[in-house]
Amino acid sequence: MSDHTTAVIAPGRKKKRRLSRIVYVILCSLVAAGAIFPLIWLLDFSLAKSNELFSSKILIWPSPPQWHNYYLALTDGKVPQYLTNSLVITSVSVGLVVVLAVMMSYAFIRMRWRLSRVFLNLVLLGIMIPIHATLLPNFLTFHSLNLTDSPLALIIPYVAFGLPQATFIMSGFMASIPEAVEESALIDGCGIFRIVFKMVFPLMKPAIITVIITSYISIWNEFIMAATYLTSDTYRTLPFSVYNFAGMYRSNYAAQFAVMVLAALPSLIVYIILNKHITKGIVAGAVKG
Amino acid sequence: MKVVNKLWVVALALVMVFSLAACQGDSDTAASPDGETDAAAESQAPADDAGDADEPVTIHFFSNLPDRSSGMGELEQILIDQYTAENPHVTVEVEALQDEPYKQKFQSYVAGNELPDLCMVWGQPSFFQAVMEGGYVAELNPDDYTDYGFFDGATADFSYDGKLYGLPRNQDLTALFYNQAIFDEYDVKVPETYDDLMAAAETFRENGVTPLSINGKDKWILNLFFQDLLVKVSGDQDTIYDAIDQETSFAGDPDIRKTAELYKDLVDAGLFQDSYISADYASAMNLFLQEESAMFYMGAWEVGMASNEENSEHFRENVQVMTFPTVTEGEGKATDLVAWNGGGFAVSASSAVKDEAIALLNYMMLPDHWAKIGWETGNVVPGQDYSSFLTGNENQLQMTITDILQQSTSMSGTTWNDYAPGEWKTNCEQLMQEYSAGIVDIDGFLTGLDEAVGQ
Amino acid sequence: MDRMKRNKLIIFLLVSPGLIFFFAAVLFPILKSVYYGMTDWKGIGDFNLVGFDNFVKVLTDDKVFRESLLHAATLAVLTVIVQHPIALFFAIIIDKIGGRRETFFRAVFFIPCVISIVVISKMWVGIYNAEYGLLNTVLEFMRLDALKQDWLGNFHIALYSVVFVIMWVGFGYAFLIYYSGIKGVPEELYEAGLIDGAGGWQRFRHITLPLIKPVIWVNVTLAIVSSLKQMEPIYLMTNGGPGSTTQFVANYLYIQAFNAKKYGYANAISVVFVVVCLIVTVLLQRVFRDRERGEAS
Repeated sequence: MSDHTTAVIAPGRKKKRRLSRIVYVILCSLVAAGAIFPLIWLLDFSLAKSNELFSSKILIWPSPPQWHNYYLALTDGKVPQYLTNSLVITSVSVGLVVVLAVMMSYAFIRMRWRLSRVFLNLVLLGIMIPIHATLLPNFLTFHSLNLTDSPLALIIPYVAFGLPQATFIMSGFMASIPEAVEESALIDGCGIFRIVFKMVFPLMKPAIITVIITSYISIWNEFIMAATYLTSDTYRTLPFSVYNFAGMYRSNYAAQFAVMVLAALPSLIVYIILNKHITKGIVAGAVKG
Repeated sequence: MKVVNKLWVVALALVMVFSLAACQGDSDTAASPDGETDAAAESQAPADDAGDADEPVTIHFFSNLPDRSSGMGELEQILIDQYTAENPHVTVEVEALQDEPYKQKFQSYVAGNELPDLCMVWGQPSFFQAVMEGGYVAELNPDDYTDYGFFDGATADFSYDGKLYGLPRNQDLTALFYNQAIFDEYDVKVPETYDDLMAAAETFRENGVTPLSINGKDKWILNLFFQDLLVKVSGDQDTIYDAIDQETSFAGDPDIRKTAELYKDLVDAGLFQDSYISADYASAMNLFLQEESAMFYMGAWEVGMASNEENSEHFRENVQVMTFPTVTEGEGKATDLVAWNGGGFAVSASSAVKDEAIALLNYMMLPDHWAKIGWETGNVVPGQDYSSFLTGNENQLQMTITDILQQSTSMSGTTWNDYAPGEWKTNCEQLMQEYSAGIVDIDGFLTGLDEAVGQ
Repeated sequence: MDRMKRNKLIIFLLVSPGLIFFFAAVLFPILKSVYYGMTDWKGIGDFNLVGFDNFVKVLTDDKVFRESLLHAATLAVLTVIVQHPIALFFAIIIDKIGGRRETFFRAVFFIPCVISIVVISKMWVGIYNAEYGLLNTVLEFMRLDALKQDWLGNFHIALYSVVFVIMWVGFGYAFLIYYSGIKGVPEELYEAGLIDGAGGWQRFRHITLPLIKPVIWVNVTLAIVSSLKQMEPIYLMTNGGPGSTTQFVANYLYIQAFNAKKYGYANAISVVFVVVCLIVTVLLQRVFRDRERGEAS
């Protein structure tokens, strides 16, 4: 609470602050509405018949609600299948990113070797490299290795592009942890790997959470690589369901909206439940940067 | 220390070898498509004649029709299912994407020399010529098809160097669909000439009705509209191709310039719906189906809309189709058509199940199958003679289109935006959209086309 | 112990898995692009080496490439002068609101950022639709029919329509980052300011602003770099059209590769694109570091 000056205020001031607070709440509500209303519009018309979209109404009360649109989304939109793929691929990728980033950060920050700075900067360079510049060459490479149509075709680039930012956050955080505990463990004869995973890892929890959250959001919602590298439906991820479905049901806008709602739902639900942690994680990541 | 140094060297060497191998793999496969690259289909049987019919075979079928429950997509699926029922050892894996992603994926497949066994192809130089030239598609035996009843010249765009590489699946032509009820309601004459069309546009606009809906986002339809108008102005199908072949020029040909002016006048009069530039196929068609626009300009393949029960009965009863309006001072007749054989199928040259794929193709394209069922379900205007399949149950659109085809005096062939390979299509369509939107003026448009041809 | 820290084998084992991923899917493709960028490959068949022709063409003779950079610059400028002040303003007032409302608004503002860009883009295409879209319907409802537009088809405003969507999505991130900066300002400073008789605006200028400078720079850097890299919203909403009035480099390169089939040329664009991004980032770092040093002194 930002009640800065509790002691020294005149009553007139208090009233003024209450008034300004009301104004602030109104303003914020307007912005909040701007952030959510499009989604509400989406949800509303996802339960309508497609031609009701042309009715010049801002919102309608769908009667009867066309649950059939969601049925189509779940079956022809293949949402469950894509959802599972998204879960598996994203989780594996994020897991790898975290583990590998911790390992690399430790090597860059704690281990002593001449090229440590060089390689650290090389990896950080990756933050600036645009993904789309690698779409084509990677596709060819995956093709000649027969990896298209395998989850590896996504996991490899996802991990590769997730590492720079993760390493950045991890190494920044690691640099601020005192070396004392590790030193004593080394003297006691512990192996480096035990130190990294049993001691350093737990201390890095805030950074790890930040990395998990930011990586999860960007990988879960990633679209263009999934569209380019995967040739068949087997491993396609959730964002693709919207894109694919639009082709099949090109005239049925309401059904398309239903797919979009279903595609947005998992992220929304997780976000609402874990909201506090997510916000903290993003903020922490930004502050380090 | 020394051991670890060696490890570094080994690692670096591995990375280099790995990268060289990948590079090598690409240029090898790109240059020699007859290599033993594994097609995406997991087949175990060597591609043999029908003698080994008991070995399980998987055919990877790549289609541009994701909607498998209506239209041509449904037709494909019906025939595939029929074939697999009759040939239980065959499994067909269908991969389907809409047009644009389809083309991109196709391009990727070719670049990696991994073309699926049986693919939909467009028999237009802009799409297919390089594919045939590069040897990526299997040669077909023309003798197999003597009884298939393909119209004259239908397979021309699917042939290269005297050899046949694909089969057309329909006769494409442009068509002006219109809603008789809307015309009656506002007492507008169904446009037989350009002037009628202009008058209709003005009257409809005055009454707040969209005259014609079109999917300007998919620029190619604007090119077709332009060509239709040009054919009516010049009366000569070759006019536009001569300009592309650089025998004449876009900026220099008076007919082309006149057409550009007439076209822009229509656009400025508000013939198209307000949002036509950003309207995609679905939303433009939707406007017409919802009876929000009086006309719809599209290919004749949409004849099914008069039978599709998802459309209102009122719509189905009132929808009609006609040829493009003539231009009074022009030379072209109503029977000069912009018509071509676009969609078709081809078999991959590097397919491990080539013979089986060709067998499936031949089965599908049998007149009794593709042409007959397609015509009966109102999904297709076949590229094969379908006169023996007229059921008498045809919807009004199908009848009119059949008449139009039979009365045609000339056909354009591949449309001008697809006429040349390479980047011509992209540039030509881009200019068309820019001219329509007013981003370039008439001179910018015409000289831009001439420049694009030069590339 | 020191020997442990220098153990090359262990270092190798720690970094190589990550580096392998990184080299394979990030660096190696760029090298490949440099190679293919020097050819005239059309995606099919054989190709010839043409040296640096493609690269020169991209830099000197490619109108669309230059326009794309201009559009990115427009997006960056608008983001910094429109989205950022608004985000900062709301960061301040939400901080003042406090309590559960603060948590609530904070959460809501970030919602557009967690949803897939595919859903966002397709949704906005629907909103912008001239016939049935939400925007025109609302304008109609408010009797502002004259303001109705073909938001994505009118080439005068299409770019701004797209820019608005990108800013709408990014607002949550910008807001959170400013919010974290605001939260980092110690309250005692404000109290001292009040006692000294400083008004709201003065407190902002002399207390808040200097202390959140690092956060401002983070946000500005993010805005500029991400403006350059935009691709999916363009691909999904307009594909660069009408004409090339909403084109961005990443999307342009995708079209050159897969539509125009100019595979060699597209790779050249890729390489130039990467170089531009690197230069911009390094420049921004330089400016930031100089500023920091300037502040310190």
